[in-house]
Amino acid sequence: MIGVALALAVITTLIALGDAGPPSLLRHAYLLPVVTAGLRFGLPGGVLTAASAALLNAPFLLPEIERSGLTTDAAEGLVTLGVLGLAGALSGTLRTHADRHRKRHETLVDVQRALADDVTLDVALTRLRATLAPRLGVDELALAARDGAQLVVAGARRVAPGSLGARVLARGAPAFVRDVGGGVRARQAFVTPLVAGGRAVGLLAVERRGEIFPQERAALEALGAHVGLALENARLASRQRQFAAELSEKVAAARRELEELDRAKTAFVAIASHELRTPLTSLQGFSELLAVRRLPPEEVTRLAGVMRTEAKRLGRIVSDLLDLSRIERGLAPALCRVPLALAPAIEATADLFRLGTATHPIEIECDPALPPVDADPAAVERVLTNLISNAIKYSPTGSTVRVKAQALAGVVAIEVADSGRGIAAEALGRVFEPYYRAPDVAGVAPGTGIGLAVVKALVEAHGGAVRVDSVPMLGTRVTFVLPSCAGPVP
Amino acid sequence: MWALEHPSAARTGRLFADTPAALLAVLAVGAVASLALARLAVLPPPTVAIAVLTAGHGALLATALAWARQPSGTAALAAGLIGLAAVASGLGAFGPLAYLAPPLWICVLARRGRLAALGLRGPVGLKGVAAGLLIGTFLGGHLLVSASGTLGLHVRVPAMRAALAALAYDVGANVLAAECFFRGALFTRAQRRWSFAAAVTLATAAYVLRYLVDPLLPMRVELVVGAVFYLALLGAINCWLLWWSESLVPGLLSALIFFTAYRALGPA
Repeated sequence: MIGVALALAVITTLIALGDAGPPSLLRHAYLLPVVTAGLRFGLPGGVLTAASAALLNAPFLLPEIERSGLTTDAAEGLVTLGVLGLAGALSGTLRTHADRHRKRHETLVDVQRALADDVTLDVALTRLRATLAPRLGVDELALAARDGAQLVVAGARRVAPGSLGARVLARGAPAFVRDVGGGVRARQAFVTPLVAGGRAVGLLAVERRGEIFPQERAALEALGAHVGLALENARLASRQRQFAAELSEKVAAARRELEELDRAKTAFVAIASHELRTPLTSLQGFSELLAVRRLPPEEVTRLAGVMRTEAKRLGRIVSDLLDLSRIERGLAPALCRVPLALAPAIEATADLFRLGTATHPIEIECDPALPPVDADPAAVERVLTNLISNAIKYSPTGSTVRVKAQALAGVVAIEVADSGRGIAAEALGRVFEPYYRAPDVAGVAPGTGIGLAVVKALVEAHGGAVRVDSVPMLGTRVTFVLPSCAGPVP
Repeated sequence: MWALEHPSAARTGRLFADTPAALLAVLAVGAVASLALARLAVLPPPTVAIAVLTAGHGALLATALAWARQPSGTAALAAGLIGLAAVASGLGAFGPLAYLAPPLWICVLARRGRLAALGLRGPVGLKGVAAGLLIGTFLGGHLLVSASGTLGLHVRVPAMRAALAALAYDVGANVLAAECFFRGALFTRAQRRWSFAAAVTLATAAYVLRYLVDPLLPMRVELVVGAVFYLALLGAINCWLLWWSESLVPGLLSALIFFTAYRALGPA
């Protein structure tokens, strides 16, 4: 600026020292500082320098006009002043436009950089605000963006209802207020929506003590659209990354589950082989004994009883396996539903266990007015057998197993309770999974880990439900409900 | 942030709201009446000058104060002080010193923070003062050089008494009233409603018009053209000075220097 002022002063001095007047060719030298100031300082610099040059040149030009009127020399001098003004304005405008485009480009690049990382929306807005505030040359800048039903705001406490910001968000159109208070210099506010996909996803608000020019407002509006799109892209990219991470987590979980299932199946094959072999061995041994020896009739009867028990056990295991196979294929167990009196069915099943080893007393408590249930008698027997068998297996010898049936609204609830070791809380949610056996019981009692899965499938096939409650070291209670039917028992 | 945190109620204030119409009417009636009475030889001719001067500058200063939301009594007092100064200036050698009363009173009001709306509040930045001095010196200097070459006027050394009287008039009435109204009040209001350029244009046009109707301006074409040129330049620059520095003081300084230079011109 000092250089420009010096150049103006030197040129004016040379004109004054020389043959002063409009014809002096030195007046053209004013173009140099005028164009330089325009290119260096933009439109204000160019115009101001041109005006200064005109003022400095006027004392040489105006007396000539006063003396001789509008002569050719005077007209040339006036044209020179016009050219100076034009050159200053033109060069200044070029510089101002170039600056504006450069700044706009740099701002857009900065916006992209600010949103490049995978960050939360509030962090992204804070970064954007820190990037844009110094670039836009405003006193205050705030950004807000919708995050679902929430509105995340950076640079202000909130978007108050009835405020300019709320109006912009509702209408999706920019709003400008020339005077929002302040001192001598009016404070102006401009709010533009952040647009993505044709809707306002947020807003960009600026306030300045001084004028926000129309071209600035247009640039801010364009910036709002760009920032909105960039925010939306960042949000989509973030969601995509999140989705990929979730997918990866799900795949890993599925893999873990498959591995566990594979391990469980391997364990099941070993256990099932053992479980099948045990009754087979008994049957094989006792049948050979009956074939090769002549035994007293009462001993034959006892051995036949043992063989019958083992055969039933074998049959139960095979039935469970068949049902499990159907369940795994997504098929419901085959049922033949009839009205069934539950009390005799429970008694009959309990008798099977009483006739066996009879290590655990079984108490039965049935509601006298128990209605019949709409169920498959064989399925109910298998459910009860599984539950009573489990209760006996996992409770100490001599402890009582209680079976209770009571009528509720439209259903009958059957409860099998023991006072055994109970089930650990972490295993409780998984006891109905096929092949699952709680880690602490794996070596304690025999079992395939499919009994409760079959129970659940059978009960649910009847339209009922089953639940298990357990307190470690106090006992377990399994309750299942079956739909009752109003008809008489055949 | 206002745009997000406060309800955006529409501002409905008119440009000429708070104008002390009654006081302006009284001043106008006074000026017209004195003119009529002077024509009828009831009052001596100097009375007309006093009445017109009081009405003109008093109206500007009173309106500026009223627009700055000062009580009507304050506005009337401003006009009254100018009137008293106009009367006192003709009473003796030290009479023009009475013109110092209005600016002193304005200073008191400003120190109490009552004239912040006019840009008269607190300490003034050194840069603003320097800019005001520089611009006033440049324009005044240019006027001296240019006018002596083109307007048929010449630089003369005025008598000390006359120079001080003119300076006192500029300080206490001419510059003070014009800057307070055209910049502090009119420009400030206009730029809250329209763009900066529109506000500058309005305030400057009104400023130039005020001097074109001034009976003290000689009605020669070259002088009128010169007055329009310099006053437009001074008015526009002072608008920018107020906007830039947020203080009226730089504009007051530049205008005072310019008018001091103007007072140094006289016919050949």
